Amino acid sequence: MKKTHIVLLILVVAAIATIVTVFSDFSTYETFESASKEPGKTYYVIGHLQTDKDMIYDPKVDPNHFTFYAKDKSGNVQKVIFNGEKPRDIERSEQIVMMGYSEGNTFHCSRIQMKCPSKYKKDQIAVGNKS
Amino acid sequence: MDVQYIGEHLWPGRLGHFFVITSFVASLFSTFCYFTAVRTENDLPNSNKWRLLGRGGFILHTVSLISIFVALFYIIANHLFEYHYAWEHSSYSLPGEYLLSCFWEGQQGSFMLWIFWHCVLGLVVMGTAKSLETRTMTIISLVQVALGTMILGFYLGDDIKIGSTPFTLLRDAMQGAPIFQQANYMEFVKDGNGLNVLLQNYWMVIHPPVLFLGFASTLIPFAYCIAAMWKGDYQTFVKPTLAWSLLNGAVLGTGIMMGGAWAYESLNFGGYWAWDPVENASLVPWITMIAALHTLLIYRSTGRALTMTMILFAVTHLLIWYSTFLTRTGILGKTSVHAFTGDGAALTYHLLIVIGVLLIISLVALIARWRSLPRIKSEEETLSREFWMFIGSVILFLSSIQIIITTSIPVWSPLAKWITGKDFAPPSDVMQHYNNIQVWVAIIIGILSATVLYMKFKNTDGKALGKKLGLTALIALLMAAGIAWGQHITAWQYVLMLFAACYGIVANIYYGIVVQKAKFKKLGPSVAHLGFATVLLGILLSSYNKHPISFSTAGIPMDFGKKTQEENAKENSENVTLFRGIPVAMGDYFATYIGDSDVAGKDRRIYYKVQYERKDTVTNKVIERFMLYPDAFINPKGQQGLSANPSTKHYWNRDLFTFINAATDRSKTDTSTYRSHIVGKPGDTIWLNNGYMVFNGTNKNDLKNKRYVPAAGDEHLEFSLKVYDLNNEVKEINPVYIIKDRSYVSYVEDTLHELGLFARANLLIKHNDAGKDTVLTEILVRQTDPKDDFIVLKALVFPYINVLWLGIIVMVFGFFISLGDVLSRKVSARSADK
Repeated sequence: MKKTHIVLLILVVAAIATIVTVFSDFSTYETFESASKEPGKTYYVIGHLQTDKDMIYDPKVDPNHFTFYAKDKSGNVQKVIFNGEKPRDIERSEQIVMMGYSEGNTFHCSRIQMKCPSKYKKDQIAVGNKS
Repeated sequence: MDVQYIGEHLWPGRLGHFFVITSFVASLFSTFCYFTAVRTENDLPNSNKWRLLGRGGFILHTVSLISIFVALFYIIANHLFEYHYAWEHSSYSLPGEYLLSCFWEGQQGSFMLWIFWHCVLGLVVMGTAKSLETRTMTIISLVQVALGTMILGFYLGDDIKIGSTPFTLLRDAMQGAPIFQQANYMEFVKDGNGLNVLLQNYWMVIHPPVLFLGFASTLIPFAYCIAAMWKGDYQTFVKPTLAWSLLNGAVLGTGIMMGGAWAYESLNFGGYWAWDPVENASLVPWITMIAALHTLLIYRSTGRALTMTMILFAVTHLLIWYSTFLTRTGILGKTSVHAFTGDGAALTYHLLIVIGVLLIISLVALIARWRSLPRIKSEEETLSREFWMFIGSVILFLSSIQIIITTSIPVWSPLAKWITGKDFAPPSDVMQHYNNIQVWVAIIIGILSATVLYMKFKNTDGKALGKKLGLTALIALLMAAGIAWGQHITAWQYVLMLFAACYGIVANIYYGIVVQKAKFKKLGPSVAHLGFATVLLGILLSSYNKHPISFSTAGIPMDFGKKTQEENAKENSENVTLFRGIPVAMGDYFATYIGDSDVAGKDRRIYYKVQYERKDTVTNKVIERFMLYPDAFINPKGQQGLSANPSTKHYWNRDLFTFINAATDRSKTDTSTYRSHIVGKPGDTIWLNNGYMVFNGTNKNDLKNKRYVPAAGDEHLEFSLKVYDLNNEVKEINPVYIIKDRSYVSYVEDTLHELGLFARANLLIKHNDAGKDTVLTEILVRQTDPKDDFIVLKALVFPYINVLWLGIIVMVFGFFISLGDVLSRKVSARSADK
């Protein structure tokens, strides 16, 4: 066997080993309920903002504390604490992806990704007055 | 229902659409002619005729494409909002310099840009490819056909739509909206939707064209490789492919980092690189292109690694299409912050078909020629340049595979869910995930990139090599130790990376000066590698010690599962609330929010004035004072909230990077009311929350209040008040009292934003007991509560970020030196370098 082949073999084995370990890095999408089975472990939860419930962000008290309620895919509503500023436009979001962990009855999240209505649905025509 | 619409300008759109079709047909024609020219190659006069027709077709294609640009630009520049594209992406208030950016915001415009660069590069290839012209141009024209379908907007039956044209009318794009039942609907469409505020940045004018030129220039090496295999000629293609891949390395590299610079200057995710899928999608083809470039160098000098070269160039171009697929179809939806919103299923299938066709072409060429591709049977020496260069290329390739696997999670997760039942999501700490793996690539490539230059092709004298490298390694070790100690870099894998970067810098400088005697023409590789090592150093220094200085102490402590209290606190509170006029300690600085620009300026942003002071710790004297003006668009494009732009203080050795995360909405929070004060003679004092003001008299002429412009029939009186704040700084405030047309009273306020002070003047007539009227001067004063006026700010320090920018410039410069060297060589195949 050529030297190149040996080195290539070693590299490929190393790469496969890396990729296998990489898989353990990947998180999973869960619901509030399945996330609460392992408190403290970080998951992603996909849900919808409950606009009819309280959204509290008061930078005068704490600029890094925003609480709201979200409904996950299985329909459970839970309180969510986000340690950051209130994300822009969250009221208009169609769907939010929250990354965080469950503790007691609340979900502590450190990242929120919002899916906003797509460009084409957002299209609204501004109708002005006839002048 | 047939409505005759009024006020539409239909001819630019019709003309544009005509050119869309012409350009598509011309590219089809060009492909056919060039292909026939290849097939009739043995009948030279006939083949030459077809070749000329192919050229004509491609030129017509280019001319039509430029006409499409002109037509669309005409529509955007003249604000013809009857066209969906103009309505969606521009508005009257859009500053002129951003009109071009409207092209890139939309799907079709950016496809057009891509096609345009292919045209330009195709014309160059047409003029320079000589014996490979017919084959390369067949491939290039074919890709143009594929891209042309993207902007065709052609319906097959009712359900299948191929591409979408930029000349769609608003009423066609939004069929069924009631407004279009009126013939004069144009009278109601007053303004366009406007350009996404994030794109209103000078980097966004220049970054997309450069990046797309980088994308486009991957096509040319691809076309040459396919052409070489098609013809079975493995010599002619080497020189042009090498030249084009050097250009590609420079341009795509620049484009990617311009994107980083844009992110750094105008996005607030706090840095120039976030391993975001969209960023990765353009980085990965660059990495494979660099790998391909190096295997091609091996082939040029030793005749080895040809198969790998072909594979890597094909993969690079396919990856460009794959990244288009990732970023434009919306498949990344859940994972990326700034993926384009997708055109949905139609585009997904469309792109998959194109990728499939290109993949089949590559595979057919490779499989058909697999046995006949020249190879060298003998084994390479361990101490040869080609051996280690090959290893380096393989590692780059593996690195790109890792990045693509993680980036593509949304693509393969449905399959994985079907197999394992788990719904895979990106790693919870994406940055750490990539960094942990790619740091090893950086270490290996950093060391290899300097070492291989000292080795010769074929074989190298081990002793001489060891001597030279031992010396440079020693210098690098001292340098790395010094930096690690000075910058507190302790994590051992990053210390290794630091050493690799230092070694790369020292060894490449030594090689360029001592071994190559600084002969400019030959300096390309060592300069490019020096740049790369400098980039590694810059990334390490700026990211490892990047730290927020805006800690909030007001927070409710939360446990983030970190080891120490300090780490928890850090997670908690990288935002700080600044109340107007109250200094807050941030790192070495005291930051004070002074006030905002109140009304949006011409660029429609509100600027927030924040003063920074650095004091000597012993004497408490201010040694440095400066202002930063982070700004924000308030409620842009009909959205809620603000879209912020950072403001950065640049030092030679660090950047102070600040941006606003929230600000007061005055209309909602300001509840202060006017209080009346009666002043008699000059010298009378009015007390304020944080100072006082002194009445200074009145005047009629020579007005100081700029907000008031006297009109005919006005009687006016301006009041002068001197305002003293706590620091005894004096400012003046000049409210104006006006009687209009001798009939009614009006006023013009004056304000002092630093104090949140609003003053209004009035004259009161009072009847006293003696029946005599006296005129009293009333000053109405309102002061916003500083607690009602605040901003939420985040401030980060990036140490030595200039090292990164410098490294990129050096690296790109190195690419161009090499390019010059390649172009000036007469013989292409295996000559020098031995």
